[in-house]
Amino acid sequence: MANNHLTGIGSESKQLATWYFTFAAILFGAQLLFGLVAAIQYVMPGFMFEVLDFSVARMLHINALVVWMVFAMFGAVYWLLPDETGIETVGIKIGKLLFWVFAAAIVVVVLVYLFIQVGPADEMSIWFIHEGREYIEAPRWADFGIVVVALGFVANLFLTGMKGKQTGIVTVLMADMIAFAGLYLCGMFFTDNISVDQYWWWWVIHLWVEATWEVYVGALAAYGLITMLGAHRKVVEMWLWIEVTMLFGSGILGMGHHYFWIGTPEYWWEIGALFSALEPLPLVAMFIHVLYDWGKTQGEQDAQGQELSVIRNKPAFTWFVLNAFGNFLGAGIWGFFHTLPQVNLYTHGTQFTSAHGHLAFFGAYATILIGMMYIAIQGTNGIKIMNHTRSSIWSVSLLSGGMMGMTVALTIAGYVQVLVSRAQMGATWAGYFDGQSGMWFAQAMDWRLIMGLVMFAGFALLAKDFLTTGKNPVHQR
Amino acid sequence: MIDPSVIRPEIALDAFLPIFVSSALVLVFGGFYVGIYTAVKVNILKKWAMPFAYLFWILTAYCLYTMGSLMHVGDFTAKALVIAAIGLLLLPHAVYYMQDRVHKENEH
Repeated sequence: MANNHLTGIGSESKQLATWYFTFAAILFGAQLLFGLVAAIQYVMPGFMFEVLDFSVARMLHINALVVWMVFAMFGAVYWLLPDETGIETVGIKIGKLLFWVFAAAIVVVVLVYLFIQVGPADEMSIWFIHEGREYIEAPRWADFGIVVVALGFVANLFLTGMKGKQTGIVTVLMADMIAFAGLYLCGMFFTDNISVDQYWWWWVIHLWVEATWEVYVGALAAYGLITMLGAHRKVVEMWLWIEVTMLFGSGILGMGHHYFWIGTPEYWWEIGALFSALEPLPLVAMFIHVLYDWGKTQGEQDAQGQELSVIRNKPAFTWFVLNAFGNFLGAGIWGFFHTLPQVNLYTHGTQFTSAHGHLAFFGAYATILIGMMYIAIQGTNGIKIMNHTRSSIWSVSLLSGGMMGMTVALTIAGYVQVLVSRAQMGATWAGYFDGQSGMWFAQAMDWRLIMGLVMFAGFALLAKDFLTTGKNPVHQR
Repeated sequence: MIDPSVIRPEIALDAFLPIFVSSALVLVFGGFYVGIYTAVKVNILKKWAMPFAYLFWILTAYCLYTMGSLMHVGDFTAKALVIAAIGLLLLPHAVYYMQDRVHKENEH
């Protein structure tokens, strides 16, 4: 099986995975670009006024984020399925057709966001322009398309999992992906009560990012540790089951921290406080998981008197380690900052949330998905040992350094808002504007923009590294 | 002039920074605790480092206490924080025990 990890040549499933990864990388670039437009508008509010307003740029920024990650997640599953099950993915031709349907639908949706932008307050806008729910604003026709594509993907996964070898990783993915696809339905129906609407919307957003996506990351980390380190499958899968238990155990009811202030009953305060306090524990466990497997595998290598590194793909492993660390930092620490209702009363809706969102999405998801892209590049180019290049080192440094700098800038801005807008001025209309007009807030927004540019430079180098790996002599073939 | 009725007195103005710092340190120290514990167990660090792991857990528990006190949390949340602190203390022991058994079964 080890050899299968190193090559994607001849597998249609892995070829499809590279299509998904390519489209995901393009959308990642688009996400950063629209994020830069929105960041400039904080500093120069007239920038692209009535051409690409902040509301539209932000919508494109956050929707591109979700969609590129979903594309990369589907790609990663299509990549690992032949390795895990020992057979070619069942129904791969339908999988390929659905890829083109999905990609075409996303292009149309983006063009509508860009050139139509808004419509009248009626059903026509919900069906053909956008639904107005953050992160999942796709119009209803696209919603149905996404459901069809997701069902096709889940069918590919289940049929392959049932026909081939059922490893722990595939079993977890099968259970997780059906929940991932099913939860999307909760964000598709319209209610005219905003509290009820938000209640169900969080079933998609929270139960995706703090339950099903985290479990997915656990499964991917397990696959990566076996692929890159040659870690023992039984040990890795044991970890995976522990993580699944802890993530679902704390993550599902941790949703209570989103129900503090939306008009839901007060018992959500206590449920949210209890399970939110427990939510960092699985993230700590995931952090140890990587350390444990790395230490054990390298220790066994050293005991045999071999001083070689056990890592077969250094850029991918760097991103996987960053994932363990970034998940802990972004989702854990920046989440724990403001997860209890007593302090969330003040931080809710400030740039604190934005700081947490940026670092958590990057640390928990972008890192591991970029790592998977490197594993796919290694496989498709027939590379045995993939080393770091100058571009890979600079891209990982600029992307993570830029994100960390942006997070610090947003945290400072959020702190000003907490003190001025909330604590001193009591969340009043005047407080909202006073909080944003101070020097600290303005300078934080300048730094956020600078760090956004640093990240974009990192992305350009990442793209260069992806495109030049095939001919780079630094890798061992 | 700000209407006093809209000012929220629950958290003192100068308590916000210590709250954010202590809540961040909860996880930083917690990370050091489980990191050192695991590193000693897999022989990345020498055994003499183990007391430092438990020292970091004590610091974690102290930061949780400080954070909870400054926030004026209620009885229920205080109990939740105690459960979280004990959970963090037990977590690496339980997980390592299970992992080590699986690892040994896998080798023999």
